Amino acid sequence: MSKLSKEVVDLIKDCASIKIVTTTDENGNPHAAFKGCLTVLEDGNLAFAETLEGSQNNINLVRSLWFDKNVQLTVRGKDGKTFQIKGKPYKYSYTGPLYKKFYLAARKKRGQDSEISGVWVIVPEEVRDETYEARKKIEDELHPFFRHFDRESVLVK
Amino acid sequence: MNCTRSLGILTGRVFWLNKIMKGENRMGKNNGKLGVEELVSKYPDISRFIILKLDVQKRGIELTENAQEAVQDSKYRFRPRSAAYSGDDGSKKANPGPLLLRDGTTVLSGAGLKYEDPYRVHHVDGKFFLFDKGKKIEEVDFTPRPDYYGKKTSRGVPMESIASARPQRLDISPYRYCHFWDTGDQCKYCAFFTDMEEQRQLADKNFPKVIDPEDIYETVREALKEPGRISQINLTAGADYSGDPPFENEVNRYIKVLQAIGRNFKSRRFPSQLIAPAYTKRQIKRIYDETGLSSYCPDIEVWDEKLFKWICPGKEKWLGRDHWIKSALDAVEIFGKGNVYTNFVAGAETAKPYGFKTIDEALKSNFEACEFFSKHGVVFLSLVWRPWKSSKFAGQKQPPLEYYVRLVKGLHEIRKAHGLTSDNDDYKHCGNHGDSDLERID
Repeated sequence: MSKLSKEVVDLIKDCASIKIVTTTDENGNPHAAFKGCLTVLEDGNLAFAETLEGSQNNINLVRSLWFDKNVQLTVRGKDGKTFQIKGKPYKYSYTGPLYKKFYLAARKKRGQDSEISGVWVIVPEEVRDETYEARKKIEDELHPFFRHFDRESVLVK
Repeated sequence: MNCTRSLGILTGRVFWLNKIMKGENRMGKNNGKLGVEELVSKYPDISRFIILKLDVQKRGIELTENAQEAVQDSKYRFRPRSAAYSGDDGSKKANPGPLLLRDGTTVLSGAGLKYEDPYRVHHVDGKFFLFDKGKKIEEVDFTPRPDYYGKKTSRGVPMESIASARPQRLDISPYRYCHFWDTGDQCKYCAFFTDMEEQRQLADKNFPKVIDPEDIYETVREALKEPGRISQINLTAGADYSGDPPFENEVNRYIKVLQAIGRNFKSRRFPSQLIAPAYTKRQIKRIYDETGLSSYCPDIEVWDEKLFKWICPGKEKWLGRDHWIKSALDAVEIFGKGNVYTNFVAGAETAKPYGFKTIDEALKSNFEACEFFSKHGVVFLSLVWRPWKSSKFAGQKQPPLEYYVRLVKGLHEIRKAHGLTSDNDDYKHCGNHGDSDLERID
């Protein structure tokens, strides 16, 4: 069963959403890349195209798959609704139907001289609501001493 | 040139050999019999996928009945072995194309052939899985059938008999006969252009030696229409030493074929590789000047001087090892650093009775070769030796898996230190070389 709720899936499928993939290199240095083509597959896994074979993002993803490391995807809607998805790269396709679908979509978007290197499939493991209101509520409950007294919910006027 | 003398003056040789040979003592303890998972633990910086690939290359695969049925689907159907050179009329059971691991690693596993201790491929719930001794190991897939398979050229020749497809590469053999076999001088590990059963070259009306360059042109043109499929063309053939100087007729043939292929491209050069004998500098220059070829690969096969003479008698007889090495080095002056390759058949140097007695000796020799070629801008790559039934080395034992793991790790480190990559022979295009696969995370 997919870890992604309908709300998350809808947000990912919304073209207006911002989608970012974050990986790390062998020394732990982070690298973030926009992935507008991020989508949800029928089996609940996530997929996006990698444009360049030699990109830092692609190298980090190969390393993550080879050595069982997590990557993170962030999706943010135009109303500020934000989710972070932690997952593991499961598969990299550079031939076959899934690859061809993304390849043709890239052609349509960027013109006849464009291409992609491959398609990454990520298995989502954990989803976190990172929307400001949701995070604020949790933070207030967990750490009430961190709140400033001049906040409307704290100070008697 | 005197290669032995050149080897002696290599800078950094001792450093690299010492660094890479550190696995020496560990091998002895375990008698070299470690399996994939044990080696994954022992070599944590080498991907499990690469170690698995090496083992699958070494042992081969066998399809279960349900997997065999599943690959008859039009998505997977490559071609029946019996129809490999006359086209697929759909009436016989087909074999699948190269195996693909989840990370995209290509494995040329040779489905449809017989192996002593193969991995088995099952088809479960619409997916393929690799099993070893009844245990599920890994989800796998097969290279999809390219769109041009099943089509014919304007002369009625089935296109899949002209070019075979790897995931992103076209393989073309313009001349399907090796004349080293005429005098029994074929390389002792070789099963090229045989039926994989008998030690003889195929040569009958269903197996024409020479391919018409126009059929090649049309096949390439058709294959390139498939979106996102092909990004490299590879040529290789049997050795034809006729002509003056030797191999002149073969060179002329390749030039015609490459010119025909080149008509498909807007640019002067196109991503391509020619795996061929060691030509003279004049012949190499002609190929470079008269065609759009971008990479040349005279395979050395075996580095050790004595073993080269024993294992590759045809190559020794017609040109000799020193010429083979000189040709690769000369080619760098023409094609440029990193655009000349040479492969060797890893493990054949341990064949009995004259081969290396220990894998440490074998590794030392191969790392010396890699250091030598890398220093001169030549990419030295390994491929896993399998003692085919139709080769002179039939029945010989391969080195243990750990030899291959140490080998690919060492070769990769040496080439990396020299700033060499092997984009011509990477995981997408070739699939034969575990050492080039390791470059993916550099």
